[in-house]
Amino acid sequence: MIFFAALAILAGVLVSLSRQVNGRLALSTSAMESSFWNHTVGLVFITGVALLVGGLFAGEPGAAPWWAYFGGPVGVIFVAAGSWLIARIGAAHTALLIIAGQMTSGVILDIIMGAPGNLAARSLGVGLILAGMWVVQGGKRT
Amino acid sequence: MSQRNQSTRPLYFAAAFGTGGLLSFMVLFNGTLAAYGSLFFASWVPHLTGTITALLVLSVLKPKRAHTKRPPLWVYLGGVSGAVTVMLSSAALNSGLALSGTIALGLAGQMVFSLFADMRGMFGLPQRTPVRRDILALVLIITGSLILIFLGSGS
Repeated sequence: MIFFAALAILAGVLVSLSRQVNGRLALSTSAMESSFWNHTVGLVFITGVALLVGGLFAGEPGAAPWWAYFGGPVGVIFVAAGSWLIARIGAAHTALLIIAGQMTSGVILDIIMGAPGNLAARSLGVGLILAGMWVVQGGKRT
Repeated sequence: MSQRNQSTRPLYFAAAFGTGGLLSFMVLFNGTLAAYGSLFFASWVPHLTGTITALLVLSVLKPKRAHTKRPPLWVYLGGVSGAVTVMLSSAALNSGLALSGTIALGLAGQMVFSLFADMRGMFGLPQRTPVRRDILALVLIITGSLILIFLGSGS
């Protein structure tokens, strides 16, 4: 259990590491070129690991709905935006506001798709996140 | 901080918040792929279509390079770190941690390392020290996130 907890924490660390390295690449090139290399290098890496381990096309991938294939184009914008933002507002602010946006939009998506949920907990959670956003952007900077 | 920085900061923050919204759609799309195919497939497809999309955008927009001099080779390896992330979180997800625990620990790892990197100015990015306001915002947003993760989906 502790081993898997460490893996989950490490996954979060790598999200931040990836965004910083891509942000550094964007400083030398451009945000879109950084996103391109992120996807190309990642593709080569995953292909290599999948060839070693096998099972890339296991299951029924052809049966997935067409819209499920649009994660790539959305990811290109996501990585480009992260690379652009991290050099401007820093790693912590970028991570914090991306988390805030993900959590809030996740609640909205869940409600639209009719996923069961606790209204009080959802309201309190989103309320605290919005309060945090108000706090972080307000006031004079020194 | 400069005057220009003060006026554009809220815009950057709003953009980061919107970027987080994109992540929800990525999770939905890629997670749906994983429900039909393998976990490799669910990461392989968005990397493939993403590479093609980025190539198309680059060939149409032709963004200017900030520097003519090539950066060191390691800065091209961000994609490896991203790909390993998918594998690690899949492994953790399939353990007793479940989705809520995996997400919560991932958020913790991401925030702690981001703060550390900012304070040290790692990877050639500007050094920053968080102020009291940042810590308060962090506590509010992370508490709200944890409430959503652990209590929000209960009935």
